[in-house]
Amino acid sequence: MSRLLRQPMIVVGGLLLVAVIAASAAAPWLAAADPIKPVFGQRLQPPRGLGGAAGHPLGTDNLGRDILARLLYGGRISLVLAASAVALAAGAGVVIGLAAGLVGGRLDALVMRLADVQLAFPVIMLAIAIVAVVGTSPAALVSVLALSGWVLYARTVRAAVLTIRRLDYVEAARTLGAGDLRVVAVHILPNTLAPILVLGSSQFATMVLLESGLSFLGLGLQPPQPSWGLMLAEGRDYLSNAWWLATVPGIAISLVVLGANLLGDGLRDLLDPRLRQ
Amino acid sequence: MRSYLVTRIWQSAVTLVGVSILVFVILRVVPGDPAKMLLPEGAPQSAVDELNRHLGLREPLWVQYGIFLRSVVRGDFGQSFQYRSPALRVVVERVPATIQLALTAMALTVLVGVSIGIVAAVRQGSAYDYAGTVLAVLGQSLPNFWLGIMLMLLFGVTLRWLPTSGFHGWQSLVLPSVTLAAFPTALVARLTRSSLLEILGQEYIRTGRAKGLGEPRVVLRHALKNATIPLLTVLGLQIGTLLGGAVITESIFAWPGMGKLVVDAIFFRDFPVVQTILILSATIFVVINLLVDLLYTVIDPRIRYG
Amino acid sequence: MEKPRLSRRRFLLGSGAVLGVAAGPRAARAQARRGHVIAGLSERMLTLDPANHYSISSTSVLRHVYDPLLDVTNDDKFVPALAESWKPVNNTTWRFTLRKGVRFHDGTPFTADSVLFTLKRVRDNTKLIKSFVYQDLEDVRKDDDYTVTVTTKRPFGSLPAHLTMLGMLPPGAAGNEDAFFQKPVGTGPFRFVSWTHGDHVDLEANTKYWKPALPKVEKLTVRFIPELSTRAAALRATEIHVIDRVWPDMVSTLRATPGIKVLDTPAVEAQRWHFQLAREAGKDPRIRKAVSLAIDRNTIIKELLLGYARPVVSPIPPGLIGHTNLGQKPYDPDKARAILKQAGYQTLTLDFVLMKDLYPKQLEIAQAVAAMLSEVGIKVNIRNLEIATAREQRTAGNYDLFFSGWAHMPHDPDWYFGQWFTRAGAEKLTRFSDPRVEQLIAEGRVPDPKVRQQKYEEIEKILWEQEPEIWPYYSVAIYAISDKLRNFEARRDYYVLLHEVGIA
Repeated sequence: MSRLLRQPMIVVGGLLLVAVIAASAAAPWLAAADPIKPVFGQRLQPPRGLGGAAGHPLGTDNLGRDILARLLYGGRISLVLAASAVALAAGAGVVIGLAAGLVGGRLDALVMRLADVQLAFPVIMLAIAIVAVVGTSPAALVSVLALSGWVLYARTVRAAVLTIRRLDYVEAARTLGAGDLRVVAVHILPNTLAPILVLGSSQFATMVLLESGLSFLGLGLQPPQPSWGLMLAEGRDYLSNAWWLATVPGIAISLVVLGANLLGDGLRDLLDPRLRQ
Repeated sequence: MRSYLVTRIWQSAVTLVGVSILVFVILRVVPGDPAKMLLPEGAPQSAVDELNRHLGLREPLWVQYGIFLRSVVRGDFGQSFQYRSPALRVVVERVPATIQLALTAMALTVLVGVSIGIVAAVRQGSAYDYAGTVLAVLGQSLPNFWLGIMLMLLFGVTLRWLPTSGFHGWQSLVLPSVTLAAFPTALVARLTRSSLLEILGQEYIRTGRAKGLGEPRVVLRHALKNATIPLLTVLGLQIGTLLGGAVITESIFAWPGMGKLVVDAIFFRDFPVVQTILILSATIFVVINLLVDLLYTVIDPRIRYG
Repeated sequence: MEKPRLSRRRFLLGSGAVLGVAAGPRAARAQARRGHVIAGLSERMLTLDPANHYSISSTSVLRHVYDPLLDVTNDDKFVPALAESWKPVNNTTWRFTLRKGVRFHDGTPFTADSVLFTLKRVRDNTKLIKSFVYQDLEDVRKDDDYTVTVTTKRPFGSLPAHLTMLGMLPPGAAGNEDAFFQKPVGTGPFRFVSWTHGDHVDLEANTKYWKPALPKVEKLTVRFIPELSTRAAALRATEIHVIDRVWPDMVSTLRATPGIKVLDTPAVEAQRWHFQLAREAGKDPRIRKAVSLAIDRNTIIKELLLGYARPVVSPIPPGLIGHTNLGQKPYDPDKARAILKQAGYQTLTLDFVLMKDLYPKQLEIAQAVAAMLSEVGIKVNIRNLEIATAREQRTAGNYDLFFSGWAHMPHDPDWYFGQWFTRAGAEKLTRFSDPRVEQLIAEGRVPDPKVRQQKYEEIEKILWEQEPEIWPYYSVAIYAISDKLRNFEARRDYYVLLHEVGIA
């Protein structure tokens, strides 16, 4: 544990994430204003420091709603969605990648072909198909996001498996009678942990941005419920005259990504025994 | 090795057929009526039905697919519903712009991303490392459109150094490719860094150092070679992103590329164009990944495929 | 009787052309033709065939290459183009007298044969998008080289309006259409040079255009730039000269840029949010009334559209036949609440479907409406769907309120009524059905404008009372141009016509 704390990256990254998550969780207490109800007459006000009125530290959006409130409430939705999607994608991807790498043969071929076929489709097409059939809902959105992400994990894990299982000491372990599961747990997983952590932390940002893209294509969450993705999408039309609409959620996303990346890198530095110090 | 190649080629062919069937079916099963998209909002249902009949959409699914396959073999991908021109021509018109943008963005990604990754890894823990991390974070989290529009406003409108949109010569490539490359560059930088760090700590590198090889040589020759595997994995996948996923960048910069074409075609339910693009890009994708897999064996002799 | 109102000037010009007396050598009198105008339009052109599309943008672009029989001016008058005059002989017959001395870009003379070919083609080839409009044509007959008589199956008073959108084709295109449309020729002020699908189209001046001294520029390029910020950026960077479909929020940025002018004009478009009359909410006129009362249209116009919209006083916008003044719909949330309470509705949920990105600020406006309706106890689910899916949902009747608009294309309300307020037309849409309205619509098809006005006013009174739709505002068309562009007219129908513009 103390080793954990001695890695500055982990500390900084972790704190950042915790701060963002905590702020979003505490939205009802931190945000004084209603994030949903429009207030005509105070549209597009700049943030407090740049000429805006008191009471709206981050300004107001195109319907006069307090951006800070929307940011916090929106954070809840976006973070949960992105985390679920990453978890789902990583979980499925790792399992599939392990299976493909370990079992090999037909299963491997099938899985990889399936991955290829799916990857050849733009995410948008998959999203349209899924949404057209099940409608727009958070569950549908998470599925689409996870669907777009699992392959990266599967391939990375599979490649690592293929490399590692041929290594001398692994072969040795197997000759000595270690079962597959043990090989996986002791040798393979720890070595795949590093790239997975890196991927996972970088995918988090992708998921939020993907949610944004889908939301403004009408395939994601529906307004007026805020999410960072929707805020980005709504702010896109106002970049030249009210840039804070899109920039504020963008900064929030950046902070989350920074935190996740630092945390991921720090963990990887810590966990991988082969890294030089 | 040869049998592996044959198997892989066969599998690629199967993949392609699978893609074509999937595209075909999804397009026709998902709600959305091409005739309704072409006809104005208040056109009578009889006109809609008639147009659908003309577009060949009233036949049973398998009949349509049969007709489609037979035409494809002859090089005829059908008539675009939107443009009433051969779909293949409509798509191929977009190829030069797409390829140029993709290659430029790719080059930027590799050059800038790998460089940042190397510097960060070699100078782990230093200010360079942190700077690299921050840049990577920005690259990954800045929304595409935000970066694109900001660049356009700064360099196109305010400074007037570069064209704001369209494809009018090499200057037009700059802003879109920077925008498009931001995310993959960040990803590549981080992966390069982490792969390098892993490898730099390994036995045989230490041996190399002990043997007295200079640091740069150690890094470049041995470490990079081994870091290439995860790198190639990601790059191979990024090509798909660059080709088909560049839609936002292409929209912002009015870039006449395939990304925007395919999304517009999907929204418009222009089946022939969607089919053409997906099959073509699937082909490219499959070929590239085949090459990547083959490169694995060249780069890391420890990976053998039975 | 429908007589074109010829101004003295146009009459002289027209006669001049007819008599071949172009008052001296054209070259000497014409100003030097110069410059290259570049326009940035929001909607891409889809085809070079005037009969095979129904899009405002394509109509606008193709108008430069082809001439129709008649044009509509920005003050809603029908004026001669390739037809010098036209009149209804009886309720089902129109006679057109054609302009003489006009040639296609390849030298072929324009005669009645062109008209016959063009009209018969669009009627008979049901694969063409505009075909359904012309199914009512019974016969197209050539009386002589410059006179055509068209008979219709039932009264077709809006035929001239439709014809403003149909460019005339040379009869030589027959049997050879694919090749023809690779490099089409028309009689228009510009010749076709090239088209890159979805990106831009290049045109060059037709030096022998039948209107003297036009066009004023040598070359015209139309670029298709769907993103508004990109369009605006290109204009501000002086890469292009004119853009269309500007949003209210963009106006201040554009005005603040030196060298740019912003022009706006009320459009011939009314926004309309239609109820699904077969569902619970739409079926009950009290609910419809309550919804109407709960919507503060003036706030929407003032706050969200920044004044770039006009209050609605009748379903048909000003400038079209049928427009009348029925007063503005009131905003009265208290009354709305009372009606709902009296009708026994404690809570009500409405599905409000939008077609993604179709109308400016629609998502914002929908959210504002949702807030307004929640004030009176109605919960609104906003469903912002991609266009194709939204339309399927509409056909299936899966919505309560549907966000839409109607830009009158052509400048005639007959189609609007026929499609949305007859039983057959609305069957797979709103499911509207009212025999009295249906009869009035049929009666309004005759050519006599006075009769039509009267019938349409009656229809509108009924609709105003029943409120099967909410008409929140009339749109305003906003354009921005470089101040180097001379003589640009901001059109009410969203067309961007550049025949008469010049570059300073």
